[in-house]
Amino acid sequence: MARKTEQKTVAAEEAAAAQEPVAPPAAASANPLAGDPELLNDFILESKEHLTSIELQLLTLDQDPGNAEAIHAIFRGFHTIKGMAGFLDLDAVREVSHEVETILDLARNGALGITGAVIDRILESKDYLTRCLTDLETMLQTGQAPPARDNAALIEAIRGLGGPAPGTSLGSLLGPVTPPGPVTMGLMELAREVAATPPEPDVEMAGVACPEAPEAVKATETKAGAARSIKVDTAKLDYLVDMVGEMVIAQSLVKHDPDLATGLKPRLARNLSQLARITDDVQRTAMSMRMIPVGQLFQRTGRLVRDLSRKYGKQVELDLEGEETELDRNIVEELADPLMHMVRNAIDHGIEMPEERVRAGKSPTARVLLKAGHQAGHIVIQVSDDGRGLDKERILRKAREKNLIPPGAGLTETEIFNLIFQPGFSTAEKVTDVSGRGVGMDVVRKHVQKLRGRVDASSVRGQGTSFLMKLPLTLAIIDGLVVGVGQQRYIVPIFAVREMLKPAEDAISTVQGTNEMAMVRGALVPIIRLHERFNVKARFEKPWESLLIVSESGGRQFCLMVDELIGKQEVVIKSLGETMQNIAGVAGGAILGDGRVGLILDLEGLFGASHRE
Amino acid sequence: METMAATSAASQKVDHRAGKYLTFQLGNEEFAVQVLRVREIMGIQEITAVPQTPGYVKGVINLRGKVIPVVDLRLKFGLPEIAYTQRTCIIVAQIENRGTKLLIGIIVDCVSEVLTLQTTDIEDTPDFGSGVETPYLLGMAKIKGKVKILLDIDMVLTAQEVMSLGPIGA
Repeated sequence: MARKTEQKTVAAEEAAAAQEPVAPPAAASANPLAGDPELLNDFILESKEHLTSIELQLLTLDQDPGNAEAIHAIFRGFHTIKGMAGFLDLDAVREVSHEVETILDLARNGALGITGAVIDRILESKDYLTRCLTDLETMLQTGQAPPARDNAALIEAIRGLGGPAPGTSLGSLLGPVTPPGPVTMGLMELAREVAATPPEPDVEMAGVACPEAPEAVKATETKAGAARSIKVDTAKLDYLVDMVGEMVIAQSLVKHDPDLATGLKPRLARNLSQLARITDDVQRTAMSMRMIPVGQLFQRTGRLVRDLSRKYGKQVELDLEGEETELDRNIVEELADPLMHMVRNAIDHGIEMPEERVRAGKSPTARVLLKAGHQAGHIVIQVSDDGRGLDKERILRKAREKNLIPPGAGLTETEIFNLIFQPGFSTAEKVTDVSGRGVGMDVVRKHVQKLRGRVDASSVRGQGTSFLMKLPLTLAIIDGLVVGVGQQRYIVPIFAVREMLKPAEDAISTVQGTNEMAMVRGALVPIIRLHERFNVKARFEKPWESLLIVSESGGRQFCLMVDELIGKQEVVIKSLGETMQNIAGVAGGAILGDGRVGLILDLEGLFGASHRE
Repeated sequence: METMAATSAASQKVDHRAGKYLTFQLGNEEFAVQVLRVREIMGIQEITAVPQTPGYVKGVINLRGKVIPVVDLRLKFGLPEIAYTQRTCIIVAQIENRGTKLLIGIIVDCVSEVLTLQTTDIEDTPDFGSGVETPYLLGMAKIKGKVKILLDIDMVLTAQEVMSLGPIGA
């Protein structure tokens, strides 16, 4: 007690020196540390990490209730949060973590078996704490304290787990809403007594843990390895990546300097190539710093699979493959929503009820597979299930109903499956609260396209559906074709390019005297003259003298007419600044090999703009 | 009462305006911008044109890895366009608008010198009569018998103005 008073006086001085206008979460508290935004921020960050690992461990525990290491890990997580919350006077957080800790302590000592109900409650507590953290964040940003969240029911429920001893109503186990009264205090005592008494039937649970030990040790080892890292502001990292890109360009400028080209002495040549090697290494390292394993993203779906499969009474097993595949951090973050949505869809629509599966001769437990891997300089992420598959007939019927396809159009299988990415398309017969609102796969496709990737669906009736997302390794760099139009040079992102050709004169036709079309592999494809759109002077006016770049945008092909192809280059994408963000047809800028700025074309914007006219 | 308030406001404004200025030439006129706003001065270099922007926005340049827009102040002020010479300069300035700071390159005929202007050197912008708005003029400075026009660089090129460029060209 004396220590606390001392702390208060010291802190009081600090507070007098720099009092923040932000109201502390527990306004009534006299602890000035509680309102310190910096401390709170640290608390939020650290707690979030703990909560993430808690959830992971809980899911492990769900599969393997005897895993003592997982229980310990969860216990440690809650314990740390409780300690910090106490220090910051976050009573609601502290109370909940304390209760969970008590329960976990019981489980740790073998006095309580880990059942589904226990895990449910702990997951609920985790969710509660997450919400508290979000509230805290909002408070830090807006300076307004949100109303304290009611934790009475939750605490009651957790306490109920501790001792289903005489006097405890079964109701409390199932999550009652009665406020805690003196009775619950009694229950706490009971729970402690239960903890103190020698373990009874649950002993075997603790025993089971032993064979698992080596695995657990391995887990802690990898964890220790992962902990050898420091946190760096992403803005600094971005700046570093930018500067390294500049260095690479500067290096290449020196290397290709005409003065150096003549009579290069061996020593200088050696040193230059050494410099080139080092620059290359530095660039690769700088790029890799932004990369994180995709496993973190996959693991987030674990909770979703568990919750949904319980809700629908379906048996689902989540398989993860290629978790160590590394992806740009920004991509991973952007991918979270679409991935969740696809998993949700798979469980809600794809996977059948166990009885139905058995009738179809399949195992009652369905599999949802998340798989990541590299493929030709791209990351490929696959989400597949072994459910009932897509119903071609139903998709077609629906598409006709919604006028998404012209009547009588003959579509290939792929085209039919791709219809589900159309806005407003949903085949779910009834709207559930999980999916089927018609804002589904089109949002997924939009997200993926924003990341300069593509998504395709494939399915076999009765055997399952599979979604394949193809994404670039990083958002910072783009593989581009440098093309010239008159004096200007532009960069065409290579992922959108289908082919390039110099058309024959008779392959060009004009529709109604205005719209030019080129015959490409038996199909008429509209031509967009880049110089007209950008109002620059081109060297060639006739399509058969220029180069046509066949590209695809929104599922439709078009030809971009440019003067010449200059080369292929990896470029670092730069924003043109807030001032020039919304120019149709321009995605950004990039520094070319000679230090000049080249504009990166946004083919979608180019085609879209011409489409509207 | 009203006059008193006006005087005090004016004197405050004068205090605010005194300081170091970078002067440059545009046609026959001498202009000046606050030196604190100037990041660097560079010779003219190749500018990448950006479509769908008004004529005075010449395009973008590479400023050590940053892509920044460049405007031709001659065109912005409605002066006739001239060919760029050895003396043509790009003044890289930081402009601020509603909390957003951005770097922008300004093409001028040539840069002259850095001057320290006292409060007494600076006069308010004369009233050009109704219908002539001069929000981008901070005032006039008389130095050695010549008049230099003090520009409020934020007003000359408001971020918002440059931001609303898109629809103009589209």
